[in-house]
Amino acid sequence: MNELTLLTKAMIQERKDIILSILGGFIAGIAGVFLFSASGYLISQTVFAPPLYTLIVLTSLVKMLGLVRAASRYGERLYSHRATFSVLSRLRTSFFGRLIPLAPGILNKKRSGDLLARIVGDVESLQHYFLRVVYPPIVVVIVFLATVLFTSSFSFWIAGLFVLGMLVAALIVPGIVLIGQRKIQGLVRQERAALSTEVAEVLYGFRDLKVYGQLKKREKQLEHASAALAARQQRAAGHLLLGQTMHAFVTFFISWGVLASGAYLIRDGQLAGVFLAMLVMTSLTVFEEAAAMATLPAYKQDSEYAAKRLAETVPTSDVQPSHPSGVLSAEHGVSIELSGVSFQYEDEWRPALKDVSLRISPGSKTAIVGPSGSGKSTMIELLLKLRAPSEGDIRLNGRSAKEVDETSIWQTANVVLQQNHFFRGTIRENLLLDGGEYTDAELYAMLAKVQLTNMSLDDAVYEKGENLSDGEKQRLALARAMLHKGRLWLLDEPTSSLDYVTEQRVMKHLYEQATGDTLLLICHRLIGLEGMDQIVVMDDGMVIEKGSYADLMEQKGYFFKMKQIERQMVGEAGEQKRMP
Amino acid sequence: MKGNKSLISQEMTAQRKHLVLFAVISLALGAAMVSQAALLAKAVQRVFVQGDSLSSVVGLLCLLLALMAIRTLLAYRNGKVGLRMAATAKTNMRAALLHNLIHASIPSTIRGQTGEKVSIALDAVDEADSYFSQYMPRMMEAAVITVLILIVTFTQHANSGFIMLFTAPFIPLFMVLVGMKTKNKAEEKYAQLAQFSGTFLDSLQGMVTLKIFGQARRQQAEIERSSLGYRDATMGILRIAFTNTFMLETIVMLSIGIVALELAIQLLVFKSLAFHTAFFILLLVPEFFSVLKNTGTAFHSGRTSMGAIKKVEQLLADTEGEYMSPKDQKGAGTSDGTVETSKTGPAHAAVISMPPSIRLDHVRFQYAPDSFGLETPSISLGQGENIAIVGKSGSGKTTLLHLLAGLLKPSSGEVLVNEIPLSQYDEAAWFARVSYITQHPYIFAGTLSENIAIGAGRRVTRAEVEKATEEAGLAGVAPQLEQGYDTLVGEGGRGLSGGERQRLALARAFLKQPDLILFDEPTVGLDLHTERILQRSIATLAKSATMITVAHRLYTIQHADNILFMDHGRLVDSGRHDELLERQPQYAQMVDVQRKGGLA
Repeated sequence: MNELTLLTKAMIQERKDIILSILGGFIAGIAGVFLFSASGYLISQTVFAPPLYTLIVLTSLVKMLGLVRAASRYGERLYSHRATFSVLSRLRTSFFGRLIPLAPGILNKKRSGDLLARIVGDVESLQHYFLRVVYPPIVVVIVFLATVLFTSSFSFWIAGLFVLGMLVAALIVPGIVLIGQRKIQGLVRQERAALSTEVAEVLYGFRDLKVYGQLKKREKQLEHASAALAARQQRAAGHLLLGQTMHAFVTFFISWGVLASGAYLIRDGQLAGVFLAMLVMTSLTVFEEAAAMATLPAYKQDSEYAAKRLAETVPTSDVQPSHPSGVLSAEHGVSIELSGVSFQYEDEWRPALKDVSLRISPGSKTAIVGPSGSGKSTMIELLLKLRAPSEGDIRLNGRSAKEVDETSIWQTANVVLQQNHFFRGTIRENLLLDGGEYTDAELYAMLAKVQLTNMSLDDAVYEKGENLSDGEKQRLALARAMLHKGRLWLLDEPTSSLDYVTEQRVMKHLYEQATGDTLLLICHRLIGLEGMDQIVVMDDGMVIEKGSYADLMEQKGYFFKMKQIERQMVGEAGEQKRMP
Repeated sequence: MKGNKSLISQEMTAQRKHLVLFAVISLALGAAMVSQAALLAKAVQRVFVQGDSLSSVVGLLCLLLALMAIRTLLAYRNGKVGLRMAATAKTNMRAALLHNLIHASIPSTIRGQTGEKVSIALDAVDEADSYFSQYMPRMMEAAVITVLILIVTFTQHANSGFIMLFTAPFIPLFMVLVGMKTKNKAEEKYAQLAQFSGTFLDSLQGMVTLKIFGQARRQQAEIERSSLGYRDATMGILRIAFTNTFMLETIVMLSIGIVALELAIQLLVFKSLAFHTAFFILLLVPEFFSVLKNTGTAFHSGRTSMGAIKKVEQLLADTEGEYMSPKDQKGAGTSDGTVETSKTGPAHAAVISMPPSIRLDHVRFQYAPDSFGLETPSISLGQGENIAIVGKSGSGKTTLLHLLAGLLKPSSGEVLVNEIPLSQYDEAAWFARVSYITQHPYIFAGTLSENIAIGAGRRVTRAEVEKATEEAGLAGVAPQLEQGYDTLVGEGGRGLSGGERQRLALARAFLKQPDLILFDEPTVGLDLHTERILQRSIATLAKSATMITVAHRLYTIQHADNILFMDHGRLVDSGRHDELLERQPQYAQMVDVQRKGGLA
């Protein structure tokens, strides 16, 4: 349970708050026990008609205890929650740190959004581990030990009875709950996940299902699955309820035992009768303080499950990413050479790149074209060392990419990806992501170059750039890349959402800046490739043609035919995408 | 919602039996609590005050133990009833939601946020649980048991009763105050909170960008900062809640203290009270307050639940009434064989002469008031013709296709199939004759063979599937997969490329042999192999069918018998390619500009 070790470490760092909350919990618990014991004693004392002042002292004591209890409960809550949130913050930070070397490996899958949300959720559910699993038993045990000590000064036997009851309440009852819970909870999770996937599938595939007349069948299936899930959840909750019920009965049974054995002991002269009511009250209260023990298994399981899942998604094996000493020089255009490069994504069944060999000379301009899914974007990921080829070698400036420090590649490369991320903040912050220093005038000039004249640097950007259109995002990404001042351009369909005229204007500025630099452009359209030094045509992970525009058109091969089809396109190509 | 009845009251009416059960069990539970306290007090009185021996109180003790057992069992029963009620309510709510979502017309599916709908159908419905399993039983217990305890206390010792009666109302009052105050404060800080918690997700999503720009480590510090900010903001809210709880507990303690003091004075000074009565009341008072305090906790979870139920209601209301009449649909849905018996329409199912002719009769359609609208004149599409819909993106091509498919219902006007309104056809019988090949065909979680066979709507042999696969040019894929046709594809299975998906959709159509083909021609991004197959296969399929294509290729347009030219939601003109070139300068420009762009 590697993640729980991590959690423990984070908790140790918050020990001050944790100790304070345990202290608060202890005082509150013990004050509660004494409060009720004292009131039991108080009532019993009245039988002997004591002087009024004893009574007044006792009642004041009871009230004092009440106040102490409420106050320390307040402190306990405050410190325990503070500790919890601090632990959460530490967890997030350390997880992020561990994810950095793993990106984009785990982020590029089909449902990466879900995965990320799950990581966020799992980390958050770990916070319960402290609040509901680790710390209640500590408080319960301390309060209980103090109570036993207190009770033993009145009667050894009754103290023994307490110990017995506590063993049942703290170990046996939670144990029984845990055993049943483990199996049911697993099934509930499975069924719930399955139902969620099925509902999503029906909604996403709605149109096809409707035309194929499958909706009614699907509805019935979903109804069944939903009812089965509700029944299973009911059973799981029933199991927890059973635990709580057992705990309640143990509480009553021990109080009853105190009463019965008390009756015997009083008769036997081993216990003063005046303490009987007090001890009954003590037993009722101390076990009520331990009520959290009955639900603890559920939280324990949730935390363990979250920890397990996190361990699976975020492998802990500390294969330290090596930091090779090679540096990619930014003095001149970069040369690139791929020899026999193959690559397969972990969750895919066929390779994305098959035995690709390619030479790109320094300062040249290369376009990569091909149908979607032919492996174009994978090539850029490999060049950026975001992934390592399964086979073959990539050489940058004649040096194997394995020997080149990845940060120096990123330093040298001006990158526009298909999905460019924008962070919450302002346009300015998003443009200056790499910490570059530019005046506002320079930044506005850049915005003008990418045809975003009506945008202010102080305009707000929402999370994931949600308030920006696809076209705006692409142009901002281009601006960001152009501000980066590297000598290697890696552009993955950077203008797919722009109209033809805007595209031409933006790219004109880009080519001006890129004079003498090595440039690699993945295109979704075959327009404006005449000036490229080299066009690489890919299909099904392989390079099937390469050469200049004129060469390829002459060959009348794959490129030529693609070009013919594109010329046939009417209505859609070359326009800005809009919702129907 | 029908009759404006809220979901909760619907459930309450439907599960009235459970409510009565709650009340009865709660009453019994209250009685058990009171008797337990009475017997306990009695036993202590006998042993301590009267000095009775253990053997003389054995009967009393046994009775006490039995009562304790009964009490725990009753509490357990109440919990069980709550759970059953919650399960029934959840199943009902989810079934209603699914029914509405599944019978919704296309617009609600297009309008969107599928993820959010899934989340409501799963998470919000699950969150509704605690309203029925926690809130309801606790409230019922509070209503019944507190009254019972109060009555008993009054009969025993009225002064204590008065003290309880005066202090008790503070508790629900405080609980509500806490709830309201934290809510206000929470709303005040909501934006801030959302920001803090969002930073983590935002940073995870942008990890690659952060890496490339060399900012990943700096962002880590940012996460820590924002997490601590989140902590401090949350603590601000919690502090108020905790302070109020502190006040509350103080009030409870004080009232118990006052009751105890008053009892002691009565015992000692006025000697007007028996020990066992005093002890009995002293045992009852904490029970009384603890029942009240439980309502406070239940109140919070109940509120969260009610918020979730609101969401469910909202979605139900949004999706309600988008299909004809739920009652009829439900009736038709009970058995698939009712096609001939339900309504008047199905009579036409048998007489559709195929392939059909279609007539648009002044159709108008709007997704919502003030939104995009579509409008056509009266226009006829002949039997077995090859029709192309042409227009810029956003001109309403796909909407027109949906109307022709019967996936959307016109706001006014009619779509007539063989001169009979489409709305009069039985939906299942109609769709059994139609194939719709979209740009992004959906691949369901299942085997390759199942995904193809879904097209047929009947049991098909493997040989038929293989033949269709062959015709669609997909035959090369199955041998590549480790289990051939039985390999799982779609979600959780093997991924297929865009071209393969397109060919799979063709295979479905080959299996179905439709009389009407609706085809949303793909734009860029297909491989040449798929392009070739597409042209050849579509021509084969179209031989025996009426075909309507949202066309993007000049080739398709040139070969169409009739072209519907769309612009800004209006069907501007129709005719053959050369006719439109002549009549419509806009059309000529559109067809031409693209080619020039391509040649530039």
